[in-house]
Amino acid sequence: MLVKKFETNDTLYDVEKMQKKLQEIKDQEGIIGYILRGSKSASIDIKDPIKIIDYAVLSSTVFDVGNDITEAFQLGELDTIVVESEETKLVSMDINNHRISLFMEKNVDHDKLYKNLK
Amino acid sequence: MNRDPYATVLNSALTEINKAYPDIKNSFIFMNNDSIITGDQDTDEKTMNNMLESFQTMKKKSNVLGNLKSLRINGKNGKLTVSNINDMYLVLATSKNMDKTHIYSITHVIIPTILKTLETFTPTNFQIISPKNLIVDTLSGFFAGDSVQIDLEILKDWTKNTDPPTHVKAEIAGEQNIQEIIDYVRIEKFDGNSTLCKVKEINDQKLKGKNMIRIPEKICNTLEIKKGDIVKVKPIS
Repeated sequence: MLVKKFETNDTLYDVEKMQKKLQEIKDQEGIIGYILRGSKSASIDIKDPIKIIDYAVLSSTVFDVGNDITEAFQLGELDTIVVESEETKLVSMDINNHRISLFMEKNVDHDKLYKNLK
Repeated sequence: MNRDPYATVLNSALTEINKAYPDIKNSFIFMNNDSIITGDQDTDEKTMNNMLESFQTMKKKSNVLGNLKSLRINGKNGKLTVSNINDMYLVLATSKNMDKTHIYSITHVIIPTILKTLETFTPTNFQIISPKNLIVDTLSGFFAGDSVQIDLEILKDWTKNTDPPTHVKAEIAGEQNIQEIIDYVRIEKFDGNSTLCKVKEINDQKLKGKNMIRIPEKICNTLEIKKGDIVKVKPIS
C-alpha cells in the first residue's frame, strides 16, 4: 500500500476529517483505493502503486468531463460521477470543495459510501 | 444524422421511449467508432458531438479500470447515463427524479431487445453504415480532379458493413473492387451543408492511416471548409 500526501495550509481540519473517513472506507472489502484533492492539498492511497499515475489521470479527467457534460446538458452542480467497467468502478464526488475519487470493485455499494462521506 | 433503416428503427424506438418516460430530456445513440447513429429532435448535433468527444477522452484514460461499460453523472438538477449496448452507447439525460429501474429497463431490456429483434429479422444485410468524422486536407493543382481521397482501410470498413459477401469477394480479388462498391461519399459540415463526391483511395503513402479526407480545392471552396476542419463523411454505394 502506498500513501502519498502533499499539503500546504489547506483547511487542515476538513482534510484530516475526510481522510480519516477515507482510511476507514479503504480498509473495507472491495476497495482499491482513493484520491482526495482539496484546493491546496492532495492525498492518494492506492493498493497497486504501479497504477497510481493512471488512476490520478483518470480521476482528473473524469472531473473535467463531468463538468463539461453537466454544463452541456444543464444538469446543475456536479454531485457524483460513476464510471463502471466490467469488474471495477470509479466513483467521483465533490464534497465541500474536496474532490474525492474512490476506486472499487463493481459489487461495492457506493451509495452507502457516498452517504458516509457526506 | 444517419438515415439507414437500422438508424430509423432506433430513432423510432427512442421517440417512443421518450414519450413513455417524460423524465427523459435528451437521448441519442453512438457507435464505438465515434459515429452518431441517431438522436432525439431536442438534442442538437453540436451537443452530441461535444458529448462524444468528452466521452472518448474519458474512455481512453479509463483503460486502468478495464473495458468501459457505463458512465453515470448526477447533478443537482438532473442526471446523465451512458450505457454500453453491444458495440454502441446509449445516452440518456434525464430529470433528477427519473427512476433508476426505468433507466435500467431501457438500457438492459428495451434497447437490447430491439437490437436482437433487428438482428433476427435481418441477419446479414441490415448493417449500420457509420459516417466518419475526418480531417480535411486540400488537394490543389492541375491533377486535383473532382474526386475526394479517403484511406483504403475506411473504404474497406464501409464495404464490409454495406455488403459483407461482396466485401469478402473484394478482399479475395484485391483492392480495386472496393472502389466499385463505394463510388461516392456525402461530405457534410456540422452546420448541415453537404455535397456528394466521387471517392478514391488516398494515393499519398504519408497521409494513410491519419483519419484524413483529401478534398479538391474547388469543393472545399463550395463547402466553405479549409485544411484541418472536421467533416462528416458517409459512403453512398
